[in-house]
Amino acid sequence: MKSLWLLTKKNLKLLVRSKTSALVVFFAPLFIILLLGLSYNSTSKYGLNIGVYAPSFSSDVESLISSLQEQEFKIVKYNTAVDDCVKDIKAGVVHACVSVPESLTIDGNQQKEVSFFVDPSKVNLVGVIQDTLNDKFNLKSQQISKELSGNLLTAVSDTKSKLEEQGTQLSSAKEKSAAASTTTLEVSQQLSTLDLTIPTLAYDPQLIVNFKTSVSPKIKSGLADVKDARTAVESSSLEDKSAILSSLSKVEVQLKSLDTLVNGVAVSTNNNTTTNSSNTTVTAASTSFLGALTLLEDELTNTKGKLTAAATAIETTSTGLSSTTQNLQDSVSALEAAQQRVNEMKANLDGQKVTDANVLSAPLVTKIEKVAQEGSYLNYMFPALLVLVVMFSSLLLGTTLVMMEKNSPAFFRNYFLPIKKGTFVVSTYLTTMVITLIQVVIILGVSIIFLKISPLQLLPVAGALLLSSSVFSFMGMGLGYMFKSEETGTLASISTGSLMLFVSGVVLPLETISPAARNIISHFNPFVLSESVIREVFIFNAGFSSVWVELATLAGYAVGLLVVILTAEYLVHKHFISGFMKHRHLKHRQQEKRDKNNV
Amino acid sequence: MRGPITFIYYLAMMYYKKGVESLKLIELKEAGKKFRNNQILENVNITVDEGDILGIIGRSGSGKTTLLNLIAGFLEPSSGEVLHSFSVTKGPRNLYTDLHKIKDQIGYAPQHNSFYPKLTVMENLLHFGQLYNLPKATLQNNIKGLLQATGLVLHQNKLAEHLSGGMQKRLDIACSLVHKPKIIVLDEPTADLDPALQKDIMNFLAQVNKQGMTVVIASHHLNLLEKFCTKIAIVHQGKVHSSGNMEEIRKPYLKENFTISLTPGGNKEQFISLLKTLPVNKIIDRQHHIIIHPKNITKTITGLLTLIEEENLSYDLDLRRPSLDEIFETITLEK
Repeated sequence: MKSLWLLTKKNLKLLVRSKTSALVVFFAPLFIILLLGLSYNSTSKYGLNIGVYAPSFSSDVESLISSLQEQEFKIVKYNTAVDDCVKDIKAGVVHACVSVPESLTIDGNQQKEVSFFVDPSKVNLVGVIQDTLNDKFNLKSQQISKELSGNLLTAVSDTKSKLEEQGTQLSSAKEKSAAASTTTLEVSQQLSTLDLTIPTLAYDPQLIVNFKTSVSPKIKSGLADVKDARTAVESSSLEDKSAILSSLSKVEVQLKSLDTLVNGVAVSTNNNTTTNSSNTTVTAASTSFLGALTLLEDELTNTKGKLTAAATAIETTSTGLSSTTQNLQDSVSALEAAQQRVNEMKANLDGQKVTDANVLSAPLVTKIEKVAQEGSYLNYMFPALLVLVVMFSSLLLGTTLVMMEKNSPAFFRNYFLPIKKGTFVVSTYLTTMVITLIQVVIILGVSIIFLKISPLQLLPVAGALLLSSSVFSFMGMGLGYMFKSEETGTLASISTGSLMLFVSGVVLPLETISPAARNIISHFNPFVLSESVIREVFIFNAGFSSVWVELATLAGYAVGLLVVILTAEYLVHKHFISGFMKHRHLKHRQQEKRDKNNV
Repeated sequence: MRGPITFIYYLAMMYYKKGVESLKLIELKEAGKKFRNNQILENVNITVDEGDILGIIGRSGSGKTTLLNLIAGFLEPSSGEVLHSFSVTKGPRNLYTDLHKIKDQIGYAPQHNSFYPKLTVMENLLHFGQLYNLPKATLQNNIKGLLQATGLVLHQNKLAEHLSGGMQKRLDIACSLVHKPKIIVLDEPTADLDPALQKDIMNFLAQVNKQGMTVVIASHHLNLLEKFCTKIAIVHQGKVHSSGNMEEIRKPYLKENFTISLTPGGNKEQFISLLKTLPVNKIIDRQHHIIIHPKNITKTITGLLTLIEEENLSYDLDLRRPSLDEIFETITLEK
């Protein structure tokens, strides 16, 4: 137990005394945990960019966008074409697209379709996005469904209240119609009692004509006589002419009356006497005429009576009919009102355009469209796996090669070779690239067979991989120069690779960390850049124009790191060799001492 | 026209220099080296002439390797200067700043083996040779010659890590020589080798030197250096205590001319007390023998012979000039 403790103590001392080892062994894992903890200590979904395409952004769409923004989604609007949004998914600008119709108002028995465009290659994100968007749209669908059902129920309720109202009015109309009916019956009965039969008395109308023919000239003659008499009297010198003239005037009046009577067949009984006394013909005629008149008078009296009764009946009927008319007018008004109400109700019901139960229950239907070709999860994960392999192999190779050279016995001799320092750096890089190239060729060759990928498609992938590999190689070489022992260098490489992997979004969704940190990571993490390029090229067949920014960034990294390494090599190469020499020299002396002691 | 003129000038200079003095390939003038506050070397004045085999000796930590690094141009002196004359037409120039131009003139075999253990002998030689941009035929010739000279012909296809220690050292030196430099700097090439291998290596270096290559070698094996080197520099406590050929090194220590070494057969303490009665400057007690530095060689020898005769002592007596080892020991002990 004692020896175990001593050995353990020795190991710990060695680790602590080597500053770089202590730093890497103790603090690197803690640092990584700290970073990851800080990065992923969040349950929010902020950072998910959702593209929303709509032909125009109506209030409905804006409301939907607001509800998505409440979920801390970042919304990017598209109104030209949904393809723009899909392109941005491929470019990684947005994580999903939602294509919504111009309006979410349901105006017919047609469900509104909302399409989600997701990138299935982002395996760790697609579920989250789909679920969240589905939840959101289901909620919206429920809202619309509720609204539609509410509208329908309101219409039914309105119709019901209107019908109730119309029931009262129709009862009133019914009562009025009944009253009109009764009145009409009474009028009918009253009218049926009226005797409007034509009197059947037979008289000769010629008699009156004869009478007129015989009497009328005589009356005219009498009137002429009276006129002559008046003239005579007036021309006479009679004293009392006025009495005669007065009498003559009376006669004349009588004659004129008679003439009027004869001519108008309107004879007054008071005048008959005068007429009778003037002329016997007239008398005869008058007699027959008077008889006829008497008959006529009787008939007229009789008729008058009937007409009086009729007038009374008509008056009564008229009153009844007025009442009936009023009742009927009221009924008509009531019926018209009822008809209008019915029309309104019909219009109201017609206004409920959603009558399909399916539409009512699910006004919005969601459709998920994948922006990449269907493939297995391996297809989707393949870019990440490729970059993962390239990253770790390049990092470790870079570190190991530099370490090998630094710790090689020949390190010192190389100093005296007439070769520029940069040549060693580039040769290390090329060695890494050769090995990586072999690995890439093997992996891609296998992928052609198993994933059935076109070899032509793999050429740009291979190019992008080699560029990525350059960056990671230089990083690994940098780490190799930074650390003294091969173990710490290797550990540092693995830690660096792991850190880049953890914050790449491949293991854990990058979108759960704060936007600022994510922005930095996605723009500066070479793993993310490489994976993005490979994914776009591999899955979306993106051209150079789509990925040139990432490629340029990677190339910039490679050049930058190369410059840093060359500068460092130039500045500290001598220091390395001195350290190397010192180390060897000390070892040599220790050996010498040991040899002396042995002697 | 420029080529022939330069060539003629070069020949003239060579002739002139040969006639006047041998060409100074590397010259250290008051050179010093300080690491932080630690002064490793100071005021070093050494000249490495063309064709020299310069041996650098010193105790561990005395600054031998630092001196070699200054000579090879790997380190820049903190004080003084290190000049080179690899180009006879240009005169002495700063070695450190010129190093990138004259790397193909220098071969360096450090203390440790400096080759790729996972490459074969041939691969190592080819690798380093090719990096010196030698023509293929020249390189093949060089390699062939080196393999034969180092006895690695039969092992040329073995991985370097599978070679014995001696073979590895030979390979290391071969790698330093593959481009045929003007000067080769070796840091303890015979360390950890058995005496036979040490001798082989030194013979090989002597052979190389005969072909015109200047050799600078640091070693603890003083007897070998004494035998093979044309010049010696003794480094002690950051200073070059003595430098020059063996006679020049010995000269300050020859005022008593000789050193008497005795190997006592009986009571050593008693004998030392008797020796103190003689005219001696110093008596050095080594475990197996005693070294006497006489004040007067005649009187001391006479007295010594009288003592041996009177006391009937049985001793081996060796009378000789001081060896490099002894001079070195004297210097380091004095200090």
